[in-house]
Amino acid sequence: MAEFLGITKLTKHFRGLVANEDVDFTLGSGEVRCIIGPNGAGKTTFISMISGHVAPTSGRIAFKGRDITGMSVPGRARLGIGRKFQTPSVFDNLTVAENIELASIGKHAEGADRRARMGEVLQLTRLEAFASNPALTLSHGQRQWLEIGMLLANRAELLLLDEPTAGMSAEETHATAALIKTLAAEFGIAIVIIEHDINFIRDLGAPVTVLHLGRVLMEGDFAAISENEDVRNVYLGGEWEC
Amino acid sequence: MSNTRPVAPAPRIDLRSESAAAIVVFAALALLPLMMGGYVIYVLPQYLIYGVLAMSLGMLWGYAGILSFGQAAFFALGAYAMGLAMKAGFGASDGYLGLLAAIVIGAGLAFLVGYFLFSAGVRDIYFVLITLALSIMVQQIAISQSSLTGGFNGMYIPRMDLALGPFGSVSLAHDRAIYYLVLPVTIAIYAGLRRLTRSDFGKVLVGIRENEGRTLSLGFETSWYKTIAFTISGAVACLAGALYGAHAEFVSPSLASVAFSTEVVIWVAIGGRQSLLGALLGGLGVAALSNYLDGLSPVFWQLILGGIFVAVIIAFKGGIAGALGRLVARKDGTHG
Repeated sequence: MAEFLGITKLTKHFRGLVANEDVDFTLGSGEVRCIIGPNGAGKTTFISMISGHVAPTSGRIAFKGRDITGMSVPGRARLGIGRKFQTPSVFDNLTVAENIELASIGKHAEGADRRARMGEVLQLTRLEAFASNPALTLSHGQRQWLEIGMLLANRAELLLLDEPTAGMSAEETHATAALIKTLAAEFGIAIVIIEHDINFIRDLGAPVTVLHLGRVLMEGDFAAISENEDVRNVYLGGEWEC
Repeated sequence: MSNTRPVAPAPRIDLRSESAAAIVVFAALALLPLMMGGYVIYVLPQYLIYGVLAMSLGMLWGYAGILSFGQAAFFALGAYAMGLAMKAGFGASDGYLGLLAAIVIGAGLAFLVGYFLFSAGVRDIYFVLITLALSIMVQQIAISQSSLTGGFNGMYIPRMDLALGPFGSVSLAHDRAIYYLVLPVTIAIYAGLRRLTRSDFGKVLVGIRENEGRTLSLGFETSWYKTIAFTISGAVACLAGALYGAHAEFVSPSLASVAFSTEVVIWVAIGGRQSLLGALLGGLGVAALSNYLDGLSPVFWQLILGGIFVAVIIAFKGGIAGALGRLVARKDGTHG
C-alpha cells in the first residue's frame, strides 16, 4: 500500500557539497516526526525538497500515492503540503484575519464556510484577540502560530515546520507542543518538525530522525535517541544532560 | 498572553467611506453639464479618460504591486485602433468596432507580454524597463508606419455615432453627448475594477504584492494571477485610448511616449495607488492642473507640477487618498 509520504534515496548536492545523501523516510497520515541534527546536517534542505523549494539531485518523493518529485511549489501546496519557514513568512501589512482569509481562498468558499474555518483556526492558534491587528505587530511566537494557522486554513494535510518554537517563551513552547498533538490526533494532519529545543521534543513525545552530514544517522523514539552513543557524540558533543 | 497587547489596526482606507465618496463624485459629475457648458464640458471627458487610464495602472500597481511604464503604449494603441476602425468604413458600427478592437488588442498584447515575462520570472525593475521599451516600440511603429498611422502628422478620427439599433443613432459630435458616454463608461470601469480588487482574485493580488513567496507556497500560481491582472490593465488602458481618440478626434505618436507613461505613474502616485478612486481623481485632477498651470506659465508649469509630485510623495507615501484614509482612521480612533 502506498504510504502517505514516502521518500526513497533522496539526494541533494550543491555543486560539490553534499546536503542530503540517500535519505529514506516514510510518514503515515496523522503521524508526527521530529528531525534533529547539528548545523549543516541537511535538515532544511530535506524539507525544502518535500515542499518543492529545492529540486533534488536524485531520489523520489511520493505523496498520497503520487510521485511529486518534479511538481512545482504551488502544485504541492494544492495537494496538501504546507510549509512554515524558519523565519515566519506571513503578510506583515495585512491583519491576522486577512492573512488567514488569503490562505483559505480556493479551499473554502467565500461566506459561511470560510468564516467558520477562519474562526476555528483563530481559536486553535490563540489569535482571536488579535484578528484585526496587522501581522507585523505580533510577537515572534505569535507569527509562528499565524503561519501555522494559514497552513490550516489552506487545508494542508502535511505540515513541514522549520523551527516552530524559535522565539517562544517556555509557556508558548508548551502550548505549541499541545497544538501539534491536537492537529495530529484530532485532525489527522501529518507533521514534520525541525527542532533544536530538546525540552520541546521530549514534550512532544514523537519519534525522532537524526540527520548527520546529510544522511540518516538514526531513527527511534526520544528515549532511544537520547541514550545512543553516536547521537550523543555528533549532535550533543557528549555534554547533554537529560 | 506573553508580551504583546492588542493595538489599533493599521490606518487604511475605509472601504465604506470610499464608496460614499465615489457616489458623491459621480453624482456631481453627472449633474455638472446641467449647470455648466463650454470648455469645461468639452475637456472633462478627456480628464475622465485619463482617470480611467490611471485606474488601469492603479489596479496593477496598487494591488498587485506591478509597476508598468507601458500604459501609454496601450492607450495609444487604443486610439489608433479607433482611428483605423473609423477609417475602415463599416458604417454605423465603426465606433463599436473601434472600442471592441481596442479591448481585444489591449488584452491580447498584455496577455502575451505578461505571460512570457511573468512565467520567466521577470519582475520589479526589469518589468518596468521592458514596459518602458514597449512604449518606445509602439511610438516608433506609429512613426514608421506612416501610410497607416499618418506618421509624425498623426491621424484625424471622426467622432463615432452611438448606434442604438431600432432607436436610431446619437451623434457624439456634441460635447454633452460624448460626456454622457464617457461618464457611464468611467463609472462602469471603476465599479468593475473595484469589484475585482475586493474579490478573492484581488485578495490574492494583494498577497503577491505583500509576499509573493508566501502566496506561491499557499498554492497560488502567482505568474498566472499577474498575467491576468496585466491583461485586464492593458484592456482597460487600450479602451481608454479608443475613447480618447474618439473624443480628441486626433492621435499622434507622442501619445505612446515614455513621457506620457511617466505622467500616468505620477497621477497614480499623487492620487493614491491603493485606492481606485484616488487614482481616478489623480488622473483627472493632475491633468486638469497641468492644463491650468500650462496656461498660467507655459515655461515653468512642469517644474511646479514636479514640485507638487515630490511634496506629495515625501509627505504622504500612499498619495492623497492614503492620507485622507489615515485621517478618517484617526478620527474614528478618537471615538473608540
